[in-house]
Amino acid sequence: MSETIRIKFTRTGPVSYIGHLDLLRYFQKIIAKSGIDIKYSQGFNPHQLVSFAYPLGVSMETLGDYMDMEVESFESTDSIVESLNSVMNEGITVVSASVVPEGEPTAMASVFMADYDVFTDGIFDENEISDYLARKEIFILKESKKGQTESDIRPGIKELKSFDGGLFMRLSSGSSLNVKPASVIETLNSFTGKNVSIDLIRRLEIYKGDENGIKPLGEY
Amino acid sequence: MSNIDLSKRQLALSHKLLMSIDKPARYTGGEPNSVYKTKSDIRLRFCMCFPDIYEIGMSHLGISILYGMMNTYEDVWCERVFSPWTDLDKVLRDNDIPLFALESQDPVRDFDFLGITLQYEMCYTNILQILDLSGIPLRSLEREYDRPLGEYPVVIGGGPCIYNAEPIADFFDIFYIGEGETRYRELFDLYLECKEKGLTRGEFLHKAALIPGMYVPSLYEVSYNDDNTVRAYRPVYDDVPESVRKEVVTELDDVFYQTKPVVPFIRATQDRIVLEVMRGCIRGCRFCQAGQIYKPIRYRSVDKLIEYAEELIKNTGYEEMSLASLSTSDYPDLKELLERLIDLCNRKKINISLPSLRIDAFSLDVMSKVQDVRKTSLTFAPEAGSQRMRNVINKGLTYENIADGASKAFMGGWNKVKFYFMLGLPFETEEDIKAIPQLGNDIAALYYETVPKEKRMGRVQITMSTSFFIPKPFTAFQWAPMNNMQQFIDKAELTKHTMLEQLNKKSLSYHWHEAGTSIVEGVLARGDRRISEAIVYAYKNGCLFDAWSEEYKHHIWMEAFEKYGPGLDYYIFRERDKDEVFPWDVIDCGVSKSYLYREWENARAGKVTANCRDKCAGCGAFVFDCGICPGVGK
Ligand code: SF4
Ligand code: SF4
Repeated sequence: MSETIRIKFTRTGPVSYIGHLDLLRYFQKIIAKSGIDIKYSQGFNPHQLVSFAYPLGVSMETLGDYMDMEVESFESTDSIVESLNSVMNEGITVVSASVVPEGEPTAMASVFMADYDVFTDGIFDENEISDYLARKEIFILKESKKGQTESDIRPGIKELKSFDGGLFMRLSSGSSLNVKPASVIETLNSFTGKNVSIDLIRRLEIYKGDENGIKPLGEY
Repeated sequence: MSNIDLSKRQLALSHKLLMSIDKPARYTGGEPNSVYKTKSDIRLRFCMCFPDIYEIGMSHLGISILYGMMNTYEDVWCERVFSPWTDLDKVLRDNDIPLFALESQDPVRDFDFLGITLQYEMCYTNILQILDLSGIPLRSLEREYDRPLGEYPVVIGGGPCIYNAEPIADFFDIFYIGEGETRYRELFDLYLECKEKGLTRGEFLHKAALIPGMYVPSLYEVSYNDDNTVRAYRPVYDDVPESVRKEVVTELDDVFYQTKPVVPFIRATQDRIVLEVMRGCIRGCRFCQAGQIYKPIRYRSVDKLIEYAEELIKNTGYEEMSLASLSTSDYPDLKELLERLIDLCNRKKINISLPSLRIDAFSLDVMSKVQDVRKTSLTFAPEAGSQRMRNVINKGLTYENIADGASKAFMGGWNKVKFYFMLGLPFETEEDIKAIPQLGNDIAALYYETVPKEKRMGRVQITMSTSFFIPKPFTAFQWAPMNNMQQFIDKAELTKHTMLEQLNKKSLSYHWHEAGTSIVEGVLARGDRRISEAIVYAYKNGCLFDAWSEEYKHHIWMEAFEKYGPGLDYYIFRERDKDEVFPWDVIDCGVSKSYLYREWENARAGKVTANCRDKCAGCGAFVFDCGICPGVGK
């Protein structure tokens, strides 16, 4: 019987400049090196059954991202963390692993909200932020296959606070409404007439749940 | 890896600059198995360069081996640098940022050595880009010969193009002739000693020229005859050898092999485990430079290869493995090797990607085990369409070999065939060209004869590609004239028209490569020092990444060759005389000029020469006293 293991990992420093698919390939190699009894697909070119919860953009750091992997067998979740970290290098660390209970949706399908620290080269003051949050609608232009469409991101901005050097954001994520930190900065800029740019985005946590409550992806 | 915290590593480029260019991970280093050392422990820093983009350079086995080998030296730190793509090129120039190595992110200019591997002629302008962006003067003689060593890195070249590196000789301080495993330690020790004693760069280079395999071009004076041909190469010091013999590893099993290669984060062109099974080739195809310059053939043992494979799987996490050699079918223990590798790979869930093998019952059996028959194609490289022409080029592949292999494969379910040919070979006639699509047609007909209607999976698909033949140094065809653009295009058109006349034309398709780069490659391949200024001109006028068709600027190269040197007619369109002195005669690759000339005459006569295993052709490479040559060890 195979099981799904969900690992939580961090990524900081220069390794953040690799893209989402390359990170996946990196993890596949790490898993192969770690000796974990990973499950493979059938066929001439078997591949590991692994998937990320939420793509990490190029240059984005994270303190709490998730990956699901199917294993044929395992000793304990601690041993998985240990064996992955023993072959990991530069800036990526697995912080925990959990067994995904029967019936739980995949990590990718569970994504509902995420927290970010967004480090910027300029600041927005208290008033600018409260004026921004007081708006009923905040539209951004989205490129899609059909051309440009407008979308209202205001309902997806759950929290917005400034700290020394940047902004903390809690944003809706996932398939129904997905707000990117860059969209918040962009619209803040256009309302305030400022030209603040992003130095670094660091994802802090990804949550599942619904309007009634949220939980980190690794809690059930 | 040492205990250096890589996540705190400082990058040479700011976040903003990195985000302004494509694929920033090409330039940030820190990949698994990349080597980091503490600078204070290091006495010599070597920067290894492949002058093309990261994805291509990281696919190259040779520099991976040397990187590993040099980093086994405790006092040496070898790092990497690749050509910045045009976007970063601009960023570096606009912001006055010197080119930097991936690992330490330190400027290349601060290294003791800059080693550049020369794998194809069309990278020559990229060499100038590397030097230019590093702030190293382009020409060796401009690098402060009279000042103490250490002012600028010693620029050293290696790789197949150094067998005639004369067009770029002015840009290099040293060329390392032959296989890199043998002499670097000696060279480094000499460098350290000279540096300690405060010797000048010129003094060091003179001493370096006395180490076997080291060709220091600035220590040779070249004179030319009135008809532009080379009169002589004369060493400027008495103790510098008149010609430099290539370095050869005599026993492959005993030499360093890279079992902890750097594993790129971004997808490289060859992104897999590579096992080098042998060096050299027993076949003397007359157009082929690799077949001559890597002689004699030497093998790794199956046991060693399996041991390396296991370590590589453990150290890289790759899910794919491939074999590297010039002609894997000639490996004597191929059956045992493949059986053991396939077994290992099955256990470890690794896909094995087979090299192109001679198609026979054995290889078809192996292929059907590791590939999806319906998706893969058979590959044949007869290089010429007619038997007469195959005799001219000494390609020992007959119609019967091809037909036999193809019909077995058709029975086994294959229905895609790829053929590789060359156009513009010496002594080629119209009939030889027409024979290319005719061969394709015959093999298509064979399919319909062999496979009964009810078993056919649609139509057989036969793809024929042609490339344009470019004469290369150290081949039997080094005396041959090359075709011009119009001839090439006419020949490609003739091939296409003949194809359309074939009965099975619906099963055939044909591609050919552009001719423009072939002309430039031809000049650079057999050129001499007089065209180095043409290369500088091309570079200064915007030529870069010439191997990339979208970047290639034909008219600038043509301008450059008009302005500098004796021109295309001289370099590529004439037949050379028997006794002409070639610029590359200063290099001794073991294979004698008299043997090559015999082969040129055999080509003219359409006479086949046996391969090394059947009968030694007396090429001269027995001087290395290793491998397959007669009298080895006596
Ligand atoms: S088989 Fe012929 S073409 Fe291939 S490497 Fe050997 S000599 Fe060259
Ligand atoms: S000396 Fe003879 S056996 Fe040795 S490489 Fe030359 S032709 Fe082959």
